[in-house]
Amino acid sequence: MKRHTTVPSDAAQLPGLTQFLQEFWSAADLPPAETVTFELALEEIFMNVVMHGSPEGGVPRVEVSLALCDGCLTLMIEDDGPSFDPLSLAAPDVTASLEERRVGGLGVYLVRQMMDAVSYQRLGGRNQLSMTKRVREPTP
Amino acid sequence: MNVRLESIGLTTVVVLEGRLDFGAAAGFQARLGQVLAGAETKPAGVIIDCAGLDYVSSAGLRVFLLAARASQRAGVAFAICALTPAVREVFDVSGFSRVIAVYADRAAALAQTPPRPA
Repeated sequence: MKRHTTVPSDAAQLPGLTQFLQEFWSAADLPPAETVTFELALEEIFMNVVMHGSPEGGVPRVEVSLALCDGCLTLMIEDDGPSFDPLSLAAPDVTASLEERRVGGLGVYLVRQMMDAVSYQRLGGRNQLSMTKRVREPTP
Repeated sequence: MNVRLESIGLTTVVVLEGRLDFGAAAGFQARLGQVLAGAETKPAGVIIDCAGLDYVSSAGLRVFLLAARASQRAGVAFAICALTPAVREVFDVSGFSRVIAVYADRAAALAQTPPRPA
């Protein structure tokens, strides 16, 4: 099962994208407990694109696609904004004290920890971030 | 996200319902700022009741972090309680459960958040 949608790189698109994900979830009858990982990944990575990618002369387009294969769900977020690898961000110190805590990089850190696999490539003038996690046992 | 305030003794309980995402974070931050400043007198404690909170992202974690820090500086006890499994997972993975007091339910948080009026 596969679905995709394309939106402008604009924070106002987030609720619609979340709904796109939730509709996929219902249609594929996936376990509710796993949805948080994907909702979080969608928000964190999409907002990263919104914050980092506005070249002169236009708003980047962001394509979000979902593909379910053998119980593994892959969320791919692609944009035609400036080259930016979110996986290059330094991991935050999650053991720092309250006063020393920083939130920068925390979103990407959460995504890396909660997904089974995350990979980035720059291809054809587009950033592609692919995130995969097993959401149910493979069918025998 | 809905935010409702309850006063129990000198403690203000902030009851959250819905999703604390990027879109909700700024409004929630402003509201918590008002709570910490206090309408007339600042509260002795602030408890965030998350029993109705379905989702939190890093934008929401940032608001919790700033509020916990502001509380510490102001001498106000700050605690979070009743995390749903989805929110609990984000708190645990981010390490926030280690720097912010998190209680199983409101009663446990209130018991640790003095003082009640004499």
